[in-house]
Amino acid sequence: MRDAPRQITLEEWDARYAELSAAGMQEPAYGGPLRRHVGEGDLRLLKLRYDNSAAALRLWNFLLTEEDRLHQARAEGGKIVGAMKDLGTVPVLAYSLPGVTAFYPDGAWWIPCIMEDSTGLLPIADSLGIDESFCPVRAMLGAFVTGGHFPRPDLLTCSVGATCDDFSAIAQRLDGMGYPILWWEIPSRRHPDPDEPKVRLPGGFLAPETQVGFVRAELERLRKALEELAGRRLTDDALSAGIRAANRVRRSLSQLRRLTYAAEICPLPALEMLVAEMLAIHFCSDRAEARVVLDQLLREVRERVQARKGLLPKAAARVFWVNPVADLRVMTLLEECGGRICGTDYLFCHALDRIPENLPPMEALARMALADPMVGPAADRAKRICRDILAFHAEALVISRIPGASHCAMEGEVIRDWVRSKVGLPVIEIEVPPLSDSYHSTLRTRLEALVEAVKERRKP
Amino acid sequence: MKKLVYSCPFVPAEWIAAHGLRPSRILPGPADISAFAGASAGVCPYAAAFLHALCRDDTADAAVLTTVCDQMRRGFEQAQRDSHRPVFLLNVPSTWQTATAQKIYMSEIERLGRFMVRLGGKEPSAGELAGIMREYDARRSGLRHARGRVAPRRFSEAIAHFHREGTVDPASFEGTYMPRGIPVALVGGPLMSHHFSIFDVIERGGGTVVLDATESGERAMPLPMDRRSTRGDPFMTLADSYFGKIPDAFRRPNSRLYQWLERETAQRGVRGIILRYYTWCDKWHAELQRMKEWSQVPVLGVSAGAEEAMDGHTISRIESFLEMLK
Repeated sequence: MRDAPRQITLEEWDARYAELSAAGMQEPAYGGPLRRHVGEGDLRLLKLRYDNSAAALRLWNFLLTEEDRLHQARAEGGKIVGAMKDLGTVPVLAYSLPGVTAFYPDGAWWIPCIMEDSTGLLPIADSLGIDESFCPVRAMLGAFVTGGHFPRPDLLTCSVGATCDDFSAIAQRLDGMGYPILWWEIPSRRHPDPDEPKVRLPGGFLAPETQVGFVRAELERLRKALEELAGRRLTDDALSAGIRAANRVRRSLSQLRRLTYAAEICPLPALEMLVAEMLAIHFCSDRAEARVVLDQLLREVRERVQARKGLLPKAAARVFWVNPVADLRVMTLLEECGGRICGTDYLFCHALDRIPENLPPMEALARMALADPMVGPAADRAKRICRDILAFHAEALVISRIPGASHCAMEGEVIRDWVRSKVGLPVIEIEVPPLSDSYHSTLRTRLEALVEAVKERRKP
Repeated sequence: MKKLVYSCPFVPAEWIAAHGLRPSRILPGPADISAFAGASAGVCPYAAAFLHALCRDDTADAAVLTTVCDQMRRGFEQAQRDSHRPVFLLNVPSTWQTATAQKIYMSEIERLGRFMVRLGGKEPSAGELAGIMREYDARRSGLRHARGRVAPRRFSEAIAHFHREGTVDPASFEGTYMPRGIPVALVGGPLMSHHFSIFDVIERGGGTVVLDATESGERAMPLPMDRRSTRGDPFMTLADSYFGKIPDAFRRPNSRLYQWLERETAQRGVRGIILRYYTWCDKWHAELQRMKEWSQVPVLGVSAGAEEAMDGHTISRIESFLEMLK
């Protein structure tokens, strides 16, 4: 069914759902009207605006039923791996083994937003000494304590070393509470010395060969732990197949990003794109379905672009966005202010890059893990941002600080300076808490000013 | 002799000295960190003060920062940009139980060596390194011997002096000291050079610090080195003395910190723990509640900034805590 693309409220989705169903929309088992999630406590949905396509409906339903999938996997005797602070590495290993499902416990940071603080996860974190001076990912502690959001994993892994202190400290608190963690080291990526053997990583960064070797050795430890969990060997062949499957998801996502962010008229809202990008990290606990969801979105976007149809005014300011927002509502706020997303760095660009298929699989994964923009210098991250800004013709940059996150205290200035000096764009830095309603007037003012600056710069 | 400054206890002073440079582990002084170029909400005051000191210290020829905390890791980029002297980032792994972690640390120490050679230092022989290790070990042993014989503040200042200058002044240990007061442990990250007044506050409140478990205190001193292994493979012994032995909150897991504290607090009859953390220091802040749950004795958490004088509220909290222990 092809209708004009529109952003609609949850209320409007009720009628839209009936309309699509009557027209013969085919849905997966996890499908259904979006409103039912509100009944399950996802109150924030009432305040968001959604794309009106069946593809977007499937995306939302896929996202909001992840907990059900995890419980089902457990009920069916599968093994569950919680891959913490790991943006796209351990899940590739885990999904290469049959009967193993990996998920991202850090994703609990969105629960206080989605459920509008109704679950008490943050007060639980407070009671454990992890107060609001820490990143909102502290909600994860509460989720572990209540056990009400995901099953207790059979194996918990966490990357440490060149990671943010908040998460490392919160994970250590979890470990101290009796949730044993398999820690693995991701070293701080550095530029190779002039006479040092070096390797080009996916995404373009260079790293010393020795550092890749260290990461590979750490991944071998993870492989062993996963084999023990699954009770079978994880061969290189199986892992290569897992990498190819992950790359299929990444390829779909890459096409989706390229089409959406480069399009003359915005074909898909910022919110749906944010959710779609998140699928790259751990496939929302179902790798095969993640690809189906993305491909359906891709078809929708392709058709819209070909038909020159979109959601926002053609003149919308093209904004590059850095860091994910704790409150999803802010992505829509940008659009209400006259902007649209044209490029992102949500902390996991390396999970969007193709994993090399022409290398031994552990070497390929090690290179990918070390390409994480957060483990290297902020200037490297800024360079990649500049490159993508030029590719997507972005006209402004928003750096969205995550409250309390250790990396946000210093990296913002580095990124801002790089972008200003290399591509000369206007930049603003904002901070977005899990529920930002009381800050909306301030955020709106700042975003509107940015959009105004962009439009001013367009004048001949 | 060129001076190499740093702040992290995982940088081995002996390795720097063996390359013919002067190691100086500094504690930053009072600084207007709002003037620091990178200062914004969320910046740890210690990290900011250290970077501030680095950019203004004209006596240093080069500096080493490490990855033990995220802000120092990121501060390296600021230092590269704002300081006119060479800066080196030493990657200290958070994990410690694996061969990979040990290899990373050792390869980083070797890389630091090459950095120092480029600065004009010379690569030491095993014998030269072993000799310097023995010298440092003897000085640390002299320092340890003074514990309990001098006032706690003087003891901790002597440790800081040793780290900064590499020397121990026996004259500073002369006189008699009679320990009195409720024995407490001071735990946490490093003090700044103007923060030693906390020892006086504790004494005035009726306590005495019998265990300085801050990063600038005895917790972060390497244990006495084995003379036989120093003769065999001094580099391995050095790496193990630092990376393998110093307990810290940043390590994953950090169980050794608690094992060390359990042993030391019991041996010294500690009746209360004061955990001091800098605002925005997640690594130590997160340990506060855990330490309260773990400890057999009461624990008080106090936060600190870069200010020159301790604020009245913190002083009152420490006094009340000690009063409760009486």
